[in-house]
Amino acid sequence: MKSREQEYRELFMAEALEAYDAMSQHISVLEKRPDDEAALHELFRLMHNLKANARAIGFAEIGEVAHRMETIFGEIRSKQRIFAGSLVPVLFAGVDAIGEMIRAVGANQTLPNSSVLLENLDRVMRGEEPLLDSAQAAPSDEDANRKLELSDLVYIPIKKLDHLLNLVGELIIDRDRVLTLSQEIGNLGLSNVAAHLSRLADDLQYSVMDARLVGVGTLFNKFPRVVRDVATAEQKQVELTISGQDIQIDRNILQIITDALLHLVRNAIGHGIETPEERTRAGKSPLGHLTLSAQTERDDVLIRIIDDGRGIDVERVRRKAVARGQLPADVAARLTDAEVYSLMFEAGFSTAEQVTEISGRGVGLDVVKLAIDSLGGQVRVDSQMGQGTTFTLVLPTSIAVKGALLFQLEEHSYALPLMHTDSVVSLRPEQLHAVGGMLLAKVQEEHIPVVKLAELLDDSDEPLQPADREALMGRQDIIITSYNGRKLGLIVDQFLRQQDIVIKPVSQPLDMIDLFGGVTLLGSGQVCLVLDVPALTRLFIARRP
Amino acid sequence: MTEYSAAAEKKSPRPEVPVQLIVFRLGNEEYGIRIEQVKEVTVTPEIARMPKTPRFVKGIANLRGDIIAIIDLEERFRLRRADQPLPLQTFTLAIEARDYTIGILVREVPQPISIPASSIEQAPDFIQDINIHDKYIEGIARVDNRIIIVLDMLKLLTPGEIMQLRPKATSSATAERK
Repeated sequence: MKSREQEYRELFMAEALEAYDAMSQHISVLEKRPDDEAALHELFRLMHNLKANARAIGFAEIGEVAHRMETIFGEIRSKQRIFAGSLVPVLFAGVDAIGEMIRAVGANQTLPNSSVLLENLDRVMRGEEPLLDSAQAAPSDEDANRKLELSDLVYIPIKKLDHLLNLVGELIIDRDRVLTLSQEIGNLGLSNVAAHLSRLADDLQYSVMDARLVGVGTLFNKFPRVVRDVATAEQKQVELTISGQDIQIDRNILQIITDALLHLVRNAIGHGIETPEERTRAGKSPLGHLTLSAQTERDDVLIRIIDDGRGIDVERVRRKAVARGQLPADVAARLTDAEVYSLMFEAGFSTAEQVTEISGRGVGLDVVKLAIDSLGGQVRVDSQMGQGTTFTLVLPTSIAVKGALLFQLEEHSYALPLMHTDSVVSLRPEQLHAVGGMLLAKVQEEHIPVVKLAELLDDSDEPLQPADREALMGRQDIIITSYNGRKLGLIVDQFLRQQDIVIKPVSQPLDMIDLFGGVTLLGSGQVCLVLDVPALTRLFIARRP
Repeated sequence: MTEYSAAAEKKSPRPEVPVQLIVFRLGNEEYGIRIEQVKEVTVTPEIARMPKTPRFVKGIANLRGDIIAIIDLEERFRLRRADQPLPLQTFTLAIEARDYTIGILVREVPQPISIPASSIEQAPDFIQDINIHDKYIEGIARVDNRIIIVLDMLKLLTPGEIMQLRPKATSSATAERK
């Protein structure tokens, strides 16, 4: 395993070399057409990025040069200067010096001295004539004979990796198929090849998934700035702690949760953490604490956003939900805290009475919920009045493969993602109770509504017929699903097994039906629908008798 | 073929490009689809019924790794009596619709034929008598004594058509069946 520092250094090198190549190219364009705006703009951008990257990893000298070059290119861009005269060789020397310094970093050598260059850049910035010696005015032999280098790292557009992952998904399906067939045929040679193929496919899948993993830090490290800006706008004092940057997760998952995380962080500062005065009055330190942490738990990645603010006022959420007509007051009064928290994820819910610049702009936690749902993840909320709130995002490490429970219903196989499966139970009819037309099962001291999945999925959209316990014959296989704190038991014909599945999206035009998160192919070649628990839960609520 | 070419020559002096159709039977009539729209013809693979879809959407099937929807046009246009079940083995025409591939279930092996383009006529008024609404019909081809109804698959296979989505209907996917 490479150290993180080494990995960062390699990444820096790859980016910096590429930037250097681009700079050389653009500055040559500028020499021919001194007012080429695209080239100027690119040079400015490249200098700016290089400065930031170099400073972040501790190569201040590169940062210093890039910073001055950025300023000069910025002034040329805004027509305060022209790319002509003695300024030109200085800028060329600057680009060359950057190249040398980057190569020195790559070779682990001390960086060449750039004081003459810096002095000249400063002179140019002050509008003085730079001190040019002949060596700088004319390119030296050394420059002309410069070696060409290629980076050890390649950049791959994520689309190519997506394609690779899709292909691996197909391969896994066929691998299962081949394994099944080889068992049926029972030929020893075939079985051996199938077993080998299976190991290769596993390795390949692992490698492709691994290639897509990035450290959570790539997202987390953008937050110090966000927190600073939001805290300033909200006039709060916030200290951000980040941990678990090394935890690896699929790049696309990180992409999908970016907005959700931004939203939760803004919320934590806007609604959670109090003003310094309020905090002092409450006997807390005026400095609020916000923690972003990541950790792995089994195959999942947990991302937590923890604040030590005022906590969620459960009563206020209840009142708000009743006022919005989400549910009647008597029902609201009976909800547990966890159920109340789940109300906050409904569309349009916001307890912030004032609309501020940062939070409470009409978009609510439902955005967070949708993003996490689309990944098959979960959001958990813990809160203590006066002590703070923790949002936990439970995310899969990889998009491609998901653990699922396979079961049979009316002679077809279906899959249910394990992420939304709470438990499976097998109950006799007398262990179920019909209350108000709905079956209830008592599982671990909790009353859970139970419905026959076949009835829930029938063609009608009318309310379900009142449940009749007498109609149930023998033991019932029940899968308890859990979504947004709401549990629902589904009676199926038979449990089959637990299996890792590769989910393919449902093709058009059937993708209009949201009940299915996708399909998977079983080893037998059978098509298996993957149920979407959030949509199923919504359907149950709509059709509740 | 002489009589078609004679007919064709009357309309256009240049030799005509023939049109290739895949012809299949629905109910008691013959229908055709331009061969460019047909991706392949295959024995129908195992179909998984997809709940909450219109009845004529038989479900989804695995066609060489592609998961496609399979529809039954006889059921869609009520061309088959309820007491006529599908035979055990059916065939599927994989059709390229605008953005996706879709399977059409047929009872007998579809046949390719080649006809001059001029033998496809605009659908006449009597089309009201047959069960398929005229907006899906590209034209009528007369070949010997056969009448082949040429379907415009792109119109027939829009998502709205397949899912039976109608404006204003709240629960449109199931409206057809009630």
